Amino acid sequence: MRYSLAVPALVAAAACTIAKGPVPAGSRTATAPPPAIRYEQHIAVDGLEPPATEMTNPYAGDAKSAEEGGKLFTSMNCDGCHGGGATGFMGPSLSDGRWKYGGTDGAVFQSIYYGRPMGMPAFGGTLQPVIVWKLVTYLRSLPVPAAVPTQSWQ
Amino acid sequence: MPSRLAARTAVRAVFAAAFALGALPAHAQTREDGQWTMPGKDYAATRYSGLNTITPANAGRLKPVWTFSTGVLRGHEGQPLVVGSTMYVVTPWPDVLYAFDLTKEGFPLRWKYRPDVDQAALGMACCDAINRGAFYAQGKVVYNTLDGHTIAVDAKTGREVWNVKVGDVSNGETMPMAPMIAGNRVIVGPSGGEYGIRGWTKALDLATGAPAWTGYNVGPDAEVLARPGTFKAFYDQGKDLALRSWPADAWKKAGAPVWGWLSYDPALDLVYFGVGNPGPYNPEQRAGDNKWTNSVLARRPGDGSLIWAYQFTPNDNWDYDSNAEMILADLTIKGVKRKTLVHFDKNGFAYTMDRTTGEVLLAEKYVFANWARSIDLKTGRPVLDTTKQTGASRGTINYICPSLEGGKSPASPAAYSPQTGLFYLATVNMCMNYATEKTTRLRGTPYIGATTPYTVGPGGNMGAFVAWDATTGHRVWEIKEKFPVWSGAVATAGNVVFYGTLDGWFRAADARTGKVLWSFKVGSGVVAAPITFKGPDGKQYVAVYSGIGGDWALLSGDTRSDDPKDVRDPADYAKELGRHTSQGGMVWVFGL
Repeated sequence: MRYSLAVPALVAAAACTIAKGPVPAGSRTATAPPPAIRYEQHIAVDGLEPPATEMTNPYAGDAKSAEEGGKLFTSMNCDGCHGGGATGFMGPSLSDGRWKYGGTDGAVFQSIYYGRPMGMPAFGGTLQPVIVWKLVTYLRSLPVPAAVPTQSWQ
Repeated sequence: MPSRLAARTAVRAVFAAAFALGALPAHAQTREDGQWTMPGKDYAATRYSGLNTITPANAGRLKPVWTFSTGVLRGHEGQPLVVGSTMYVVTPWPDVLYAFDLTKEGFPLRWKYRPDVDQAALGMACCDAINRGAFYAQGKVVYNTLDGHTIAVDAKTGREVWNVKVGDVSNGETMPMAPMIAGNRVIVGPSGGEYGIRGWTKALDLATGAPAWTGYNVGPDAEVLARPGTFKAFYDQGKDLALRSWPADAWKKAGAPVWGWLSYDPALDLVYFGVGNPGPYNPEQRAGDNKWTNSVLARRPGDGSLIWAYQFTPNDNWDYDSNAEMILADLTIKGVKRKTLVHFDKNGFAYTMDRTTGEVLLAEKYVFANWARSIDLKTGRPVLDTTKQTGASRGTINYICPSLEGGKSPASPAAYSPQTGLFYLATVNMCMNYATEKTTRLRGTPYIGATTPYTVGPGGNMGAFVAWDATTGHRVWEIKEKFPVWSGAVATAGNVVFYGTLDGWFRAADARTGKVLWSFKVGSGVVAAPITFKGPDGKQYVAVYSGIGGDWALLSGDTRSDDPKDVRDPADYAKELGRHTSQGGMVWVFGL
């Protein structure tokens, strides 16, 4: 119940951002939200990201949410790019403790919700913020192995 | 068929009679002009050049005469073109097109064309952001971009003639394949077998880029362009084959991509191409044959009509795409000269087929394969080993050979020499364990649902370069390589064949014996297809890209050499590969 206030507030903020942002021609309709939107075209109002640090994960540290997020990671086909267990495939590993765009809950939320350059689609039009937060909670719950491969430059 | 083409075919038939070149179809026989104007060298996709200055006697003296860095780190597949005195190079994403002047010292740039390519495509490309090259016709260089555009560029000036959006990236359709131009039709198709697309080929008008037709590989006859009285499959009867062989609605997210190489027989007026895997990887979600995935299709380029189709791997359980090239040759099979098509499928079988009807004349294993015992030539169907069938309810199935990289990668096209009568191909000796689960399609995300770790196949060498006799279905010689061989091949009238390795060796071999004549260490692994051409100075040259990537993007080396545990996950079966090669694209030209 402690999440009931945070989640609607977030939905409102996100909806507001999307409504004001530039809309790529022909790709965004109410019935078929496209995950593949150009990052720079939709990142935020006036080209500024919402401040990640001010976003609060309503499920932070919640084991049950992390478990649900793990199932979502597979069922939403995140593993198709990032690999089973988020260990990396054509997309980067999300379990090696390295974050190109920041590893705070808020930054990871934004990566999923708004997409990132070099191919990460924006799932904000497809996934509800509550779902995105569960994915964030799952990823943040993954233990970073003691030894990880040398960082890829890609 | 346009009369101009018919006339050209007739001229070539005269050459054929005059020079008695052997077992090339009439349309592939022409006096060698030293150019390389289309991906497969000729419409028959033989990758055979009549140039003969480089021979087994002098190949050992080959040396690099020119290099060029593309500045791109991604996998450099495909091949340059040489038209007149210009060499054209297409890079991987961002799909830059260069034209180099071969008449001047240092091959200076004539022009550079730089398209605006949507980088959202990077997230929709399963297997690196590659490009398989351009096709030259009627003064235009035509190629595709990763974000699903087909572009025609003026070959002289580098100015864009037309630029048409053909694929829908937001639906998972990317377009790294090289187009085929048959008459005035530019024919292209999408990648996206891992994204639940419904694959197609589309034809555009060469002059304007205007769409002419779309033929889906899956769906009702009306959309597959299987017209009554025109379409006749050798092994299948009935209407809506590509619809009835699917569960309700599964055909709408069928996969069935077209990312390989096309060939064309002007006399029969048929374009041939392979179709890729069905989605998802869990076959239990798509009971039935799933036609026409994992198939070869023969279409009329004028209106797209499907003339015949044949499915290599029904209800694909293993991701055995059939996108590999269909090489057209006229071969004598069991004493009878046939118009044949030769295809090395990912599934490990080499097929020699009648290209007028789609009948399988011969199908033999060209690598170790254990998912099927043989191909029944009466029914055209594989005789399965049922213990190698996969599915979400079956758990992990171990040691399936070949792996889903294929016994040969469709990305690495084979060559055919009418002089030796042999086919030359790069092979991959790997197996896989296959675990799959139920999955849901979300538009524009991967639609796969499988984990398929690789192991090394029998013998321990992960690859080989092979000479194959397609009239009898047996291996004549092979050169074993430590790592999978992922390059295309070129065969020459000098009886020298060329290929490259993932650890960065570019080699010349004797086409008759398989003796390695020369090796040169290029800057990175070779996943491209070499070509040969005659320079303005009259000399024979060989060109190839180096630049590991494609399926091997993850395995190439940016790890430490002093820590054996420093290995990226998918590379654990080939740990050393990363220590032998690093990324980075270069164009190489070699000469005597």
